[in-house]
Amino acid sequence: MAPLSTDLLVIGGGATGAGVAFDAALRGFDVVLVDRADLAEGTSGRFHGLLHSGGRYVVKDPNAAIECIGENRIVREIAADAIEDTGGFFVSTPWDDPAYADRFAQGCADTGVDCEEIPVAQALREEPRLNPDISRAFRVPDANVDAWKLVWGLARGAQERGGRILTYHEVVGVHREGDEVTGARVRDARTGDELDVEAAMTVNAAGAWAHHIAEMAGIEGVRILPGRGIMIAMNHRLVNTVVNRCQSPTDGDILVPIRTVSVIGTTDVHTDDPDDHTVLQDEVDAMLDDGEKLVPGFKRARALRVWTGVRPLFEDAKEEGTDTRDVTRAHAILDHVERDGVKRFLTITGGKLTTYRLMAKDAVDAVCAQRGETRPCTTSTAVLPGSADRGPYLLGERLERKEEHLRDDQLVCECEMIARSKLEEVMRRRATTNLDDIRRSLRLGMGPCQGGFCIPRATGILHAMNGMSHEEANASLLGFLRERWKGVWPILYGDQVRQARLDDWIFQGVLDVEHLPG
Amino acid sequence: MTAERHVDAVVIGAGTAGLTAGALLAEGGARVVVVAKGVGSTHLAPGTVDVLGYDPDRVEAPGAALAGFVAAHPEHPYARLGPDAVEPALEWFRAKVQAGPQPGYAYVGDLARNHMLPTAAGALRPSALVPETMAPGDAAADTSPVCVAGMRVLRDFHPELCAANLTAAGIPARAVELEVDMGRADANALGLARRLDDPSFRAAFAGQLGSKLRGGERVALPAMLGLRDPHRVWTELQERLDTPVFEIPTLPPSVPGMRLSDVLRAALRAAGGRLVLGSEVVGGERDGARVSAVRVHASGHDVLYHARWFVLAAGGLNSGSIELGSDWVVRETALGLPVHGAPGPGEPRFLPDVFAEQPLSRVGIAVDAGLRAEGTENVLVAGASLPGAVPWKEGSGEGIALTSAHRAAAAVLAAERIEATA
Repeated sequence: MAPLSTDLLVIGGGATGAGVAFDAALRGFDVVLVDRADLAEGTSGRFHGLLHSGGRYVVKDPNAAIECIGENRIVREIAADAIEDTGGFFVSTPWDDPAYADRFAQGCADTGVDCEEIPVAQALREEPRLNPDISRAFRVPDANVDAWKLVWGLARGAQERGGRILTYHEVVGVHREGDEVTGARVRDARTGDELDVEAAMTVNAAGAWAHHIAEMAGIEGVRILPGRGIMIAMNHRLVNTVVNRCQSPTDGDILVPIRTVSVIGTTDVHTDDPDDHTVLQDEVDAMLDDGEKLVPGFKRARALRVWTGVRPLFEDAKEEGTDTRDVTRAHAILDHVERDGVKRFLTITGGKLTTYRLMAKDAVDAVCAQRGETRPCTTSTAVLPGSADRGPYLLGERLERKEEHLRDDQLVCECEMIARSKLEEVMRRRATTNLDDIRRSLRLGMGPCQGGFCIPRATGILHAMNGMSHEEANASLLGFLRERWKGVWPILYGDQVRQARLDDWIFQGVLDVEHLPG
Repeated sequence: MTAERHVDAVVIGAGTAGLTAGALLAEGGARVVVVAKGVGSTHLAPGTVDVLGYDPDRVEAPGAALAGFVAAHPEHPYARLGPDAVEPALEWFRAKVQAGPQPGYAYVGDLARNHMLPTAAGALRPSALVPETMAPGDAAADTSPVCVAGMRVLRDFHPELCAANLTAAGIPARAVELEVDMGRADANALGLARRLDDPSFRAAFAGQLGSKLRGGERVALPAMLGLRDPHRVWTELQERLDTPVFEIPTLPPSVPGMRLSDVLRAALRAAGGRLVLGSEVVGGERDGARVSAVRVHASGHDVLYHARWFVLAAGGLNSGSIELGSDWVVRETALGLPVHGAPGPGEPRFLPDVFAEQPLSRVGIAVDAGLRAEGTENVLVAGASLPGAVPWKEGSGEGIALTSAHRAAAAVLAAERIEATA
C-alpha cells in the first residue's frame, strides 16, 4: 500500500496518545495515530474511572496533587460529556491512622485541593451505606470519567482537524535512518496488510508498552515497570460519591460510582508482562474485604466483573543510581536527542489519566522545541466534540432520553439503557464488527446481565445492518462472550452465579451458539 | 406472625420437576402444596422436552444412547434413575398436555430420535419431544426452504441472522420483516402471543405474512403463536398460508415454556394440589433425620408447613437454592442439606474458557440411590437440584426433571401406602 505521510505519528491510542494527537492537531500539525487495538483498550480503559481531585496525593506527592487539581478543573470544562460530577469523600475508617486526617487537611490546604471537613452525620446522610463507624469525613472535588468517551472525544477532535486515527494497527517496525527516526511500519490486525507511515516526528505514547517501541527504534534503557492493579465492579451504585479511605494510599481504598456500577480498586503488583491480566484469588478476597470496610454488606452486592490494568511506571536505566524508590508516578518526557542522540523521536510515559492533558502538552511542546517552532498549546480551553454546550453527564440522562422515545425507539440493553438508534449510530460510526469496540463506546453488555440479553440482539442488528457474513456475525458474538467471561469467572459468587447460569441457558440452551455453523 | 398448615407433602419449586412431582403426588391421593419463590425455569427454557442432545457430539437417537451415556456417567441423574424410567415419564407428560388447558395442543416425538430444531441464532438444536408448533422446523426430517419472518418490534428475534446461519447449515432460508403495531417500540414474544390469541389480529397478521411468501417455503416465526390456544393459532396460520409453519424459541420470556408450565399447573390443580408462588422456603424444623416442617417466607408473614414428605425441586444453582458464597463455600439454602460435587478449597470453580464444562456445574444436593437427600429420611430431590448433570450442555434438562419427579413422587406414594397398610 502507498505510504502515509504526516507531520506527527503518535504511537498509542490511550488517553496520552489521543491527547497528543488532539493537542498537535489544534496546533496545526497533520497527525496520524496508530494503536495495536481499539482506543483506550489498554491502561486508559482499565482503571477505576476516577478523575482525581488530587486528594490522594496531598501528603505523599504534593506536586502530583497540584497537577491533579489543576487538570481536574480543566477536564471538567473541556470534556464535560465524559465526566460525572459525583464529588468525593475522604473518610477515616476504624482501620485508618487517625493522625493522617489532620495531615491530609493540611496537605489539601498546601496544594490547593479544595477540601471541606463535614460532620460524619452529614456524610452518612448523603451516603447512608457508608460504614457508620467512620470518625472524620472530608469533601473534595473528585469525579468519575468515562475513559472511552474521553479518549474518543480527543480522537474525534483530532479527526475534525484532519487527523487520521488507525485503530487495530500495530507497529511492527520503527524506521530509522542514521540518527533520525523517520516513521514506522504498521500492520492492520484485521487484514494483515502492512503500511508505512512517514513522519517528520514520532511520539511514542505506548504507555506500559513504550519500551518495546523504543527498542524498535534502537533505543536502549527505557524501562517500564508495569504495575498491575485489579478493579472489581459491583452491580449497584453502592455510593453516589467517590469514597476514599483517609490514609496513606494503599490497596482497595477507593470506591468509585460510575454509570450504573461502583468500582473498587486497586492493587499494585509488579509484573514483567504488561499483557498479563492474571487475577489472583487472594487479591479478590482482599478487595472484597476492603469493600466491607467502606460499605458494610459490600459482599452481598453482586460482583459483576474484575479486570486488571497496568500502570506504566517509568524508570530510566540510563540515570545513575536509579533504584525502585525513584520510580515515579509522575510522567516523563524522554527527548532522545539529548539522551540517545536520536532525532525526531520522543517518548512520553508514566503519569495518570487525570493529567493526560498536561502530558500531551509537554509532549507537543517538546515536538515544537525539536522542530524549532513556537506553537502555543490551546487544549486548556478547547472543548471536545460531544461536550460543547453542555454540562457534566447526569446518571439519569439515558433514562430521560428513553422516556421521551418509548413509542419510537427500541431499548436494546436494559441494564445500560442503550437505545437501538444510538446503537446503530455507533455501529455506523465505528464501522466495526467487534462488539467489544461497541461496548467501549456505549457500555454495551457491561451491566448486571453481562450481555445475556443485549448481545444476541446487538449481533442480530449488526449482522442485518452491515451485510456481514454469518461467520463474521457468529465470530462477533462468540468473541464477545469469550472476552466477557475473562472478567466474570474469577469473581463469580452469590446471585451473580444465577445470572451466569441464566446466560448459559440463553446462549447454550436456547440459542445453542456452540453449534452454530462455521 | 406465623401461620401453620398441615399437609401430606410439600414440594419446593414450581418448575417442570416441582409441578410434575406435585401433580403426581396429588394424583396419588396425597394432600400436596407446591411452594416456590418464583415461576421456575420453564419461562426461560425453549419449552421443549430435551432428554439427551449432546454426549458431547450430537445425539441422534436419545433412547438408544442413554444406556451408553449412563455407563459413562455413573453419577449422572439418569444413572440413578435408569434409562428405562424416561419413557413412562414422557408418556405421562404427553397425556397431561392432551388433557391440558390448551385445546388440541400436543407434543410430538419420542426417544427414537431427536428433532433438530432451528434456534433464534440459526443453530440446529436436538430435542426429543417438542411442541407440535415447532415440529415442522425439524431439520432432521425436512430441509426444504424456509422463510424466517421477524418483526422489528420484537428485539429478541433477528430473522436475518437466523436465516443466514440456517442457510449455512444446509437449509435454504431468507428473512422477511413484518410490520406489527404494538403501540410502542418494544414488545416481547409474550405480548405478541396474546395478540395472536385474538382472531381478528391473527387474520390481518396472516394476510400480511402471506403477501411476503414465495411458493414452496415453510414459514418460521418466533415462538409467539398464542398462549391460550396455540393449536388453533398454528393450524389456522397453516391453513391460511397453505404451508407448514413453525415456531422458533426466542430469548426469555418463553411462550412455549409458559404453555408447558400452564399444562403442569392445570394437572396439579385438577388433582387437587395447591400452588403457592411468592413463597421462599427459609428453613426447616427437624427431628433428627426427619424434617417435620418447612418455614416459608411469604409477603408479610411466615407460614410453617408441616408434612410427612418434602420434595426439593428448587432448581439448584439456577435459582439460588444452591449458592456459592463470597467465602467460596457451596451451600443448599433452604434446609442446609449437604451438597455433592462442589470443587474443594483451592480447586478451580470455573475455568477461563466460557464454553468449557465448568467445575462447579455438576454440583447438587447429595442424594442416595432413591433420590433421598443425604442425612434425611423424608426429603427427596428432583430436577436441577440433583448433582451430576450439565443440562444446558447435554440437552437433558426436562428429561431429568420429569423422570426424577416421577421417581420422587413414586417413592413418597409407595411409603405412604406402606404406612397406610400398616
